[in-house]
Amino acid sequence: MYHQFRSPEGPIEVTVAKHGHEWSLGGLSATIMADGRLKITNADGSTSFAHVAKVGDVWWVHAEGHTFKLERIEPGASDTDDGGGLTAPMPGKVLEVLVTAGQSVSAGTTLMVLEAMKMEHRIVAANDGTVSAVHYAAGDQVEQGVALLALDES
Amino acid sequence: MVSKVLVANRGEIACRILRACKEAGLASVAIYAENDSSSMFVELADEAVLLSGETIAETYLDQHQILSIAESTGADAIHPGFGFLSERADFARAVAEAGLQWVGPSPEAIEKMGDKMTARITMRAAGVPVIPGEEIEHEDESDALAAIEEASHRVGYPMLLKASSGGGGKGMRAVHSPDQLIESAKGARREAIAAFGDGRVYVERLLTGSKHVEIQVLADCHGRTIHLGERECSVQRRHQKVFEEAPCATMTPELREAMGQAAVAAAEAVNYEGAGTVEFLLAPTGEFFFLEMNTRIQVEHPVTELVTGVDLVREQLRIAAGDAMSCGPLMIRGHAIEVRLYAEDASNNFLPAIGPLAVFRPPEGPGVRLDTGVREGDEVTPNYDPMLAKLIVWAPSREEALQRMRRALDEFVVLGTTTNIRFLRELCDESEVINGTTDTTTIDRIWPDGWQPTVPRSVEDAALMAAAVGESSGLHRGQTVASGGEETSPSPFETINRRFP
Repeated sequence: MYHQFRSPEGPIEVTVAKHGHEWSLGGLSATIMADGRLKITNADGSTSFAHVAKVGDVWWVHAEGHTFKLERIEPGASDTDDGGGLTAPMPGKVLEVLVTAGQSVSAGTTLMVLEAMKMEHRIVAANDGTVSAVHYAAGDQVEQGVALLALDES
Repeated sequence: MVSKVLVANRGEIACRILRACKEAGLASVAIYAENDSSSMFVELADEAVLLSGETIAETYLDQHQILSIAESTGADAIHPGFGFLSERADFARAVAEAGLQWVGPSPEAIEKMGDKMTARITMRAAGVPVIPGEEIEHEDESDALAAIEEASHRVGYPMLLKASSGGGGKGMRAVHSPDQLIESAKGARREAIAAFGDGRVYVERLLTGSKHVEIQVLADCHGRTIHLGERECSVQRRHQKVFEEAPCATMTPELREAMGQAAVAAAEAVNYEGAGTVEFLLAPTGEFFFLEMNTRIQVEHPVTELVTGVDLVREQLRIAAGDAMSCGPLMIRGHAIEVRLYAEDASNNFLPAIGPLAVFRPPEGPGVRLDTGVREGDEVTPNYDPMLAKLIVWAPSREEALQRMRRALDEFVVLGTTTNIRFLRELCDESEVINGTTDTTTIDRIWPDGWQPTVPRSVEDAALMAAAVGESSGLHRGQTVASGGEETSPSPFETINRRFP
């Protein structure tokens, strides 16, 4: 069966096949255990156990001491990102707005300072560009994930 | 006499104290805010009383409300834990005035140590060495900034700005050059005003290459003040400790005795009673300087408990009841390490994370202790500190303790919320940690551009397969049965395709 997962570099396509109780992918195989964990057999015959849980569209996987967050791309969904990373990482309060619309900024410039969980967080331009919009002012409360500013990248 | 203890705290430390009360045969009362009504600590108390109000100020910091709950439940002692009201002298005083026993030192001791500038002055007078620096008493912003600017010429760079009422890294800024000074001072003041309602900031020389070494002390009202050896807590991110151990890898018996005696002198200078911690910076030269005294139980107290065999919370309760402490001469046995599990994204500047604890499976086995206030199914919210748990291991030697910590971290499964588990695990492989040569700048030096996990491609492929199998088989919908299932013909397309534009 075919699935797509989001990664920072782009979508990853995964096709797994099922033979009886055993799933396979290239040299890997897996069986589902009674408690919902997966027993994975590697190409070299070594085995490991993976924990999985789905929260929203995201599959969380723990395998060999590593934890993965794999967002499934629903079939037919477009893979456009929310753009620029200029969103509130946590619910919080805008402390300072350091730029105005129309201002040119270089990569690394601090655009806004937020207070969340009693710590200050800096919202920084990832690329050179021009600030096209500032959506919040100092003192505003913001929800997690809202766009704080917009940047036209040059 | 103490017979019923109200725990004025929440989460992990409330659980620790409530369990100690149970073991000591003391009745206990928990207080909780509405958003904590299903939290673990509420279940561990004999009685639990809902606090009215929404914000922290209206709940866990509301002294009047807490005192009236103590009265109505018949509690005769209040244990403040750490954070919240634990270092509030006015609360300690109000507790005593209400005829209740405060599990901690006197309000005078809290005041003298709580204001960091007063503490520096008190310690200098007691002959305890302090970090070169200057106290700045101005409250007005422009006066304070001018005085900080002036002091900067005498103290020299790099320097540290610290909030006089500070703690936990809040209101603290390292300044490396004069052009950062004013912005840093404003930021430190702003954070200090928000967190403590006191913007006073003082200046200290930043002693680079130093270890953070602290001494645990216990003092009872029968005239006995002792130290229980040191903890090293050098490994910090954003001035918050993440990896703590006892003993310190580079400690000698002579230095331990010298630091221990300085810590006892510090405690005696303020007529200390109960459990406390005297923090020092240990310079590469072997000189040590007083940083501050924490007048409460500390987050990392378990490492001392594991190597000394002393139950510090139980001793606190005993001392508060007016009894003599029960521990004998200091004995240090083996090695203990604690790591702090935070809900945070270590690969993104340690940004706090929130989410459900869809799976929460701590490690088990010999020499492993877990102090936590959460369990599977709980939700991590932005309402409180993002520390989920403390994982502590003990082993006969430091090398074996590190091996045990690696094993335990590999076994620790948390799904649904991003944590720093992998960061802590990789930290255990760093040569400075292995050699015991960590200092307070270790994390920034090892990962100057931030930490990113090192993931073998084979493990990533296994994870992609696990997610694909989970989705294909409907694991998340609970549809999978151990037997049966449809047959599909062997497919030539069982692949992972990374087609990046």
